[in-house]
Amino acid sequence: MTFVSWLERFSQLVSLPAAWGIFVTGGVIYLITAWRVRFLALIVQYLFVGILFLRVFENRPEMAMMKIIVGWMIAGSLLLSARVRTDALRGKGGLTRRWAANLPFRVVILATVTVVAQLLAQRLVLPYVTDELGLACIMLFLLALLFFGTEEKDASAVGVGVLNLLSALEIFYLAQDPGLLVSGVLMVVNLLVGLVTSYLTVTEVVQ
Amino acid sequence: MIIPGPLFIVGALLAVAVILLLVRRWTGVAAFVATVASSAVVVLLLVVPLDRVLHLPWFDVLLGAPLNVRGRFLVIEPVDVLPMVFMAATSALLSILTWRLMLRSSFFSVAMASLALLFVALMVGQVVFAALLIEMAALLMIFPLHEPVRMRDGTTYGGGVKGGLQYMVYTSLALPGLMIAQLLLAQYEVLPGERGLLQTATLLFVFSFGVLLGAVPFQAWLTTVTEDGSPPVVTFLFTVGLGAVWFLLLDYLESYTWLSEQAAFSTLLTGVGLLMMVFGGTLAAGQRRLGRIVGYATLADNGAMFVALGTRREAGVAVALLLLMARPFALGLMMLGLDGLRRLGRGDDDARRLRGGAWKMPWRALAFMMGGMALAGFPPSLGFAARWGLYRILMSQGTAQALLALLSGVGVMMGLVNAARLLLSRPQGSREIETQADDPLVLAFVVGLVVALTVLGLFPQLLSGVALDVARGFTFYQP
Repeated sequence: MTFVSWLERFSQLVSLPAAWGIFVTGGVIYLITAWRVRFLALIVQYLFVGILFLRVFENRPEMAMMKIIVGWMIAGSLLLSARVRTDALRGKGGLTRRWAANLPFRVVILATVTVVAQLLAQRLVLPYVTDELGLACIMLFLLALLFFGTEEKDASAVGVGVLNLLSALEIFYLAQDPGLLVSGVLMVVNLLVGLVTSYLTVTEVVQ
Repeated sequence: MIIPGPLFIVGALLAVAVILLLVRRWTGVAAFVATVASSAVVVLLLVVPLDRVLHLPWFDVLLGAPLNVRGRFLVIEPVDVLPMVFMAATSALLSILTWRLMLRSSFFSVAMASLALLFVALMVGQVVFAALLIEMAALLMIFPLHEPVRMRDGTTYGGGVKGGLQYMVYTSLALPGLMIAQLLLAQYEVLPGERGLLQTATLLFVFSFGVLLGAVPFQAWLTTVTEDGSPPVVTFLFTVGLGAVWFLLLDYLESYTWLSEQAAFSTLLTGVGLLMMVFGGTLAAGQRRLGRIVGYATLADNGAMFVALGTRREAGVAVALLLLMARPFALGLMMLGLDGLRRLGRGDDDARRLRGGAWKMPWRALAFMMGGMALAGFPPSLGFAARWGLYRILMSQGTAQALLALLSGVGVMMGLVNAARLLLSRPQGSREIETQADDPLVLAFVVGLVVALTVLGLFPQLLSGVALDVARGFTFYQP
């Protein structure tokens, strides 16, 4: 058994847990504002996204590797900017929280979204992609909506939402049209979103 | 060696962007280089025919030659020439106007890079790449959008970053619709009998362009961006950025004729457009924040363009294009005014807190009002000429739509009059208000733009002919 076929088999086995793993790590980012925890959650989330990318690019594991590396680079830039932001807030005498504000409300929202995701996954069959990839797309899309809808003042959370939306789109679109050029451009867009998010995170507190 | 036009123009713009990043410390040099580069593109596109080889000392350029990028072709079509000229000319105008407003800014460099990306979006045939390039250009523009404003005394101030965040979110939300529409179109080529694919693609196109153009109910980003974004960057987004999206929409209507042939297409455009006009006019009337007035006035103006397109006539397309051409002058003036008044309020543009501001900075207040009147479609301005054309077309179809369109302009004017009343009122307890010295160059820009706007308002045929020429290039409404 070659390494590539082993990877393929591995990704087939773990793609359902990976889809749920994406959701759980997204939930951690939603509930906890401590930047070290968010960084770790994002790192793990991109690992799960990479596993799903192995299903999308069946014979080109290097594309999944690229996705993971790009994701980790973005996570690194978000970590740095969150650190600058926290230091600046402390310098100004501002409070930094470990848990997100309105925690009970967020827990309820997250539970509701989990139920919605499960129901959607059972009833909505996305064309072009396997069930597990479809479930991951739905999870990522719902997470993105969650971040857009409730985190309008937290630049890094909104940025993670945009990145989730892009990951959902990449899985769905590239499963049908796995071209090298479009994959490359999408990765550049991901990097730009990461940079813009970092910039806005720092700029907000500096201003 | 013959270099294809797309490579020459886009490569040159990107090279200039890099140079501008290196010289950003010298604002005058950066503004000059950006203006010259954009103007050179205008001259090149207007003077050199697409099918004629341009001989340069080191190489030759053929503007109409396609550029092959891994099997995807970039090509300057004849119909794209005037839209590209409009975008480059607007970029040149804004670069010179911004010279004294954004010191040591990355705006000039980022604007050149964005212009290059938007050009590629127009040149590339595939929807998916155009959508991704629009997204990249939008993301780049967020950097200068929230740069802190440097005052002449060395201090800085800045607003929030909500505008940039919303802009990023909304442009990203438009992406899935366009990319999935591309998948559906590819599938339709294999299964030409499946009309359902086209209907779904139409819905996705409508949704995505609605989000990108700030159609109701996706208009929130327009006002948030104007509220806390830098005025020159906002003007670039609303003229060059939105202009590219409008031209892309026209390109797709031309390429995919089934889009405009859908039964509900015209009704949808007119309905959404009127809703935007009424919404923008009504909310502008009650606004006291100057930035938000700009946002709602632009919303109403975008609505007017939708209504013009919904008339299903070539004249309607020409009116929509004339509205777009009038926008850089109107928004350029508003930008100069808003920038000065915001500096007066150290970042705050609430007219209630800027009481008496019109006496302290009379030229900036005048610029804001004149620009606003032009955007609202009031005489004497190019905006009026464009709106007049729209009212005439609508009147031929019925009075209700024309009346609603007219009232939206009145709403924007009410907002401006309320702001002017506050800006002209004297603060309590003060007897004399000292006029603040303003940059003479900025005053020259204000006078120049007021004159240009008025002359073009009195002689609209100077630009309406160009609008009609561009409209004739789009044949989707021709029988």
